[in-house]
Amino acid sequence: SVKQHVVRKFLGLISSHNIPVYLIDPLILGLVDKDIEQIKSSPGSPSLECKYFCAPRDFTTFALLDKTWKHEVGLFRTAEKMGFQWLKIINKDPRLDGMDDLSGIEIPLHYIFKLASHAIHLVVFYERSGNYLWHGPLRLKQHMDRKFVPFRKLHFGRYPGAYEKPELLLISIDDLKVQIPKNPSSFLEEMSRSRFLECRYREARAFFQLYPDDVSLDAVEFRKKAKSLLHLAALTLNNLGVKFWLSSGTCLGWYRQCNVIPHSKDVDLGIFIRDYKADIIPAFQKAGLPLKHKFGKIGDSLELSFQGEDDVKLDIFFFYEEDDHVWNGGTQAKSGKKFKYLFPKFTLCWTEFIELKVHVPCETLQYVEANYGPDWKIPVKTWDWKSSPSNVQYNGVWPIDEWDDVIQIY
Amino acid sequence: MDEWKPNPAIKPHKKRSWYLAWKYKLMNQRALRKLCQTGAVLFLLVTVIVNIKLILDTRRAAYEEEEEAAQDYDDEMLNVEVPRHAVNNKKVLDVEVYSSRSKVYVAVDGTTVLEDEAREQGRGIHVIVLNQATGHVMAKRVFDTYSPHEDEAMVLFLNMVARGRILIFTIKDEGSFHLKDTAKNVLKSLGSQVAPFLSWRDMWTFVGKKGGEVYGEKHAKSPALSTWGDPVLLKTEVHLTSVEDAECHWPDTELNRRRKRFCSKVEGYGSVCSCKDPTPIEFNPDPLKDNKVFDVPVAVIAGNRPNYLYRMLRSLLSAQGVNPQMITVFIDGYYEEPMDVVELFGLSGIQHTPISIKNARVSQHYKASLTATFSLFPDAKFAVVLEEDLDISVDFFSFLSQSIHLLEEDESLYCISAWNDQGYEHTAEDPSLLYRVETMPGLGWVLRKSLYKDELEPKWPTPEKLWDWDMWMRMPEQRKGRECIIPDISRSYHFGIVGLNMNGYFHEAYFKKHKFNTVPNVQLKNVESLRKDAYETEIHRLLGEAEVLDHSKNPCEDSFVPDTEGKVYVMFIRMEQEADFTTWTQLAKCLHIWDLDVRGNHKGLWRLFRKKNHFLVVGVPASPYSSKKPSSVTPIYMEPPAKEEGAVAVPAVAAAEQT
Repeated sequence: SVKQHVVRKFLGLISSHNIPVYLIDPLILGLVDKDIEQIKSSPGSPSLECKYFCAPRDFTTFALLDKTWKHEVGLFRTAEKMGFQWLKIINKDPRLDGMDDLSGIEIPLHYIFKLASHAIHLVVFYERSGNYLWHGPLRLKQHMDRKFVPFRKLHFGRYPGAYEKPELLLISIDDLKVQIPKNPSSFLEEMSRSRFLECRYREARAFFQLYPDDVSLDAVEFRKKAKSLLHLAALTLNNLGVKFWLSSGTCLGWYRQCNVIPHSKDVDLGIFIRDYKADIIPAFQKAGLPLKHKFGKIGDSLELSFQGEDDVKLDIFFFYEEDDHVWNGGTQAKSGKKFKYLFPKFTLCWTEFIELKVHVPCETLQYVEANYGPDWKIPVKTWDWKSSPSNVQYNGVWPIDEWDDVIQIY
Repeated sequence: MDEWKPNPAIKPHKKRSWYLAWKYKLMNQRALRKLCQTGAVLFLLVTVIVNIKLILDTRRAAYEEEEEAAQDYDDEMLNVEVPRHAVNNKKVLDVEVYSSRSKVYVAVDGTTVLEDEAREQGRGIHVIVLNQATGHVMAKRVFDTYSPHEDEAMVLFLNMVARGRILIFTIKDEGSFHLKDTAKNVLKSLGSQVAPFLSWRDMWTFVGKKGGEVYGEKHAKSPALSTWGDPVLLKTEVHLTSVEDAECHWPDTELNRRRKRFCSKVEGYGSVCSCKDPTPIEFNPDPLKDNKVFDVPVAVIAGNRPNYLYRMLRSLLSAQGVNPQMITVFIDGYYEEPMDVVELFGLSGIQHTPISIKNARVSQHYKASLTATFSLFPDAKFAVVLEEDLDISVDFFSFLSQSIHLLEEDESLYCISAWNDQGYEHTAEDPSLLYRVETMPGLGWVLRKSLYKDELEPKWPTPEKLWDWDMWMRMPEQRKGRECIIPDISRSYHFGIVGLNMNGYFHEAYFKKHKFNTVPNVQLKNVESLRKDAYETEIHRLLGEAEVLDHSKNPCEDSFVPDTEGKVYVMFIRMEQEADFTTWTQLAKCLHIWDLDVRGNHKGLWRLFRKKNHFLVVGVPASPYSSKKPSSVTPIYMEPPAKEEGAVAVPAVAAAEQT
């Protein structure tokens, strides 16, 4: 088959230049995953048929870790000699995007090697702050050959993506030795929710032009504490396997200024109630964050608050999904009054925030506007959670006999 | 560097295509073949004529573009030497050179490539080097030959320029006072008739090809000591040669392609561009065994001193254990030439839009560079910070590899630095010895990521604060009592004599005689004893073993220390409290070591070498080591001299540069 032939040639090309790539093609990984035990148990046995690499498709996708190769131009000369046509897609280095005044760095994001009727899509992954891998979007520039390959059919590049650093496994399929992610099914799962949003650095700079950043000692200290609290919270929830995202003020800080808002005084996270686990409270206590208060119950308006270092508090809001919206609840301790905060439905994206890979709502603008109204760009120092949010609704009062359960303060 | 862009060329190949197609059509028909042979010869002739005509039309076209056009043109058809020939004869640059007391300028084909009419600046001989094939400006220098030694620098520079380049000279204000015979002879050998007789306040312009013809020279004598010669304006034409002739024919390798790109753009780098036997640009030093700093990013902080950067990168890339992939050069400003140097060595470079002015600009550049470094290498726990005016010792990475674990494990450490402020030729001796000091020397150092991210970055001085980053880092609010590890013999050498806070005199007095390690693979001997508590044990052991010197003698005299080798001596000076450095400063002055501010101290103790003996100085009673003083000994007190005028100004300037 042409496909197998092209893959074989490509693997020969890159191994002759000592470039370690691994297979991330969703189609082939899907096939491999079905037979994974058998493939693992009989390494190197000759295969009689071409079962994987001959599957019908236009591309085979591989990943390359940027730091494992030296950008030698020799690779492309050899590729040409072997008959490959190749295309390189470069763009600005997002790791320097947060810095307004640096230039000179464009990095390769994607390579496409074409031979006969098949093409290899090589996705370049970069390590970023927050211990994760990132790949860029694939965007063609003006002068580029739009018909080089059917770009729309590519599996990677519609959006940038964020991934964990994978463990690799060397397997032999169709008489070809190739590295794959050790657990193909979890890689495929990860791929399906890998979409990454870059922080809006340019808008953040514009924001700081209008409202200069607070660099007082207090602000510096608060940010440092908020950062370590967020890191600890992320570690704890990730260990439990509970999906969370930046909510309220923390989300606004990310979206508006790519940083913690120094006068916000707490860290806010959101969790879907369906992801709630009873272990959450003990896990935080074990991590050194005692429960400060617990409002509501699993069935209604659950909200947890943990005490971080000094006066920095971690608030976790649980979100309830309805047909056309989601909401979270609030409770006023002294009166037992309930409040409801409504948001349009959203999905989750990865982003990088203070050296952490975290989720934010992909539809961030709608989320932030729901919460803070159309003037969210203007900093407000006095904020009343019962009246200031534009999406707050009065939601009745807790029955007195439930107070002991739904209003717990420590 | 300014770039001179020639007028756009008229593209000739479109006009040519119709007859090409026609010709091939004819030739492919068998019947017509014989007839066509004659026709083809005729055609060749016609083509040649057409070519010549076209070239004449595009007389002004840049040669580069001409080359491209020739390549686009069908290869098979002709192998005509004519265009090149025609260019050789016809491609001409108009050059205008102006020399006067207060203004100089040089224009090439109507484009100003040099204009200097700033007051109190740019005095001396301005030199411009043009590429003889393209007319591009390859180098632009000014040598203030009114002042001493600048003529030597000019000779050095002119000798480095390749044969065949076009040299343009013009004097602003005064350029003869310290123009010695050697320099005059070099100018004469370039074809200048006036140079040997150049005198006080003469105006002079000269255009010539190195090792070739003279295109023009004009001179105006100064009529009297108090006046200047009349302004002179030289207008001349320079004939360009072919690109082939202007380039060397190195074997076609990846390295040589980089070399070629570099050498066709800039001048003044000597043997790297020599056609015969050019100096290597890849060094492949021995790898280090068990290299603990192989994955540590190296940030090279640079400005617009490309020759310095060139020298610096050569030494860095020659150091054992270097990992070129981890090196990033951060250039403060959109300067092309430093970037050319970075690309020559195949490294990555990042340009930084200048923010603020002077020291604050440097400070902002540092911040951006450090932030970018940790962002580009998110796994890194450390970064090595270097500057463009440092030589790097061959065992720089070996030194760091042996000591970096201390920075990871000992929280009382602030940095590891390759530089010993007090390590002069006569005061440093032992390449395997390290110290702990309370001052941060900089000049090649290792920064911990957590220190930067958690403490320094969030409160880094903002652009409107005109602070030096290094002075700021030394402030107690930042340093918080932490110390740096330094070697006795420095692993870096500060060679820069042009800089923001630097001048020749200052460099000579404080940097030139600094000791620099040249021994490879030095095994450091007391690494573990540099941990906070172990170091105290070590100091007590040393003081216990040390012989107390004769305090009745003058400590400035050589005889103060006996003529021995390898012994440990101690002296006690007066130091009333922690910040009393009166006597120390006087002692440092007479020992000819760093005396502009206090450096190299650890709890009121200084360690150096005198006559190859370890020499300890303890400040009494402020130092906790004062208890080691025998009761019979009176600490030496040295009085500061009465304040001289200007004595304050120098330290202020000096302290800023000494990083």
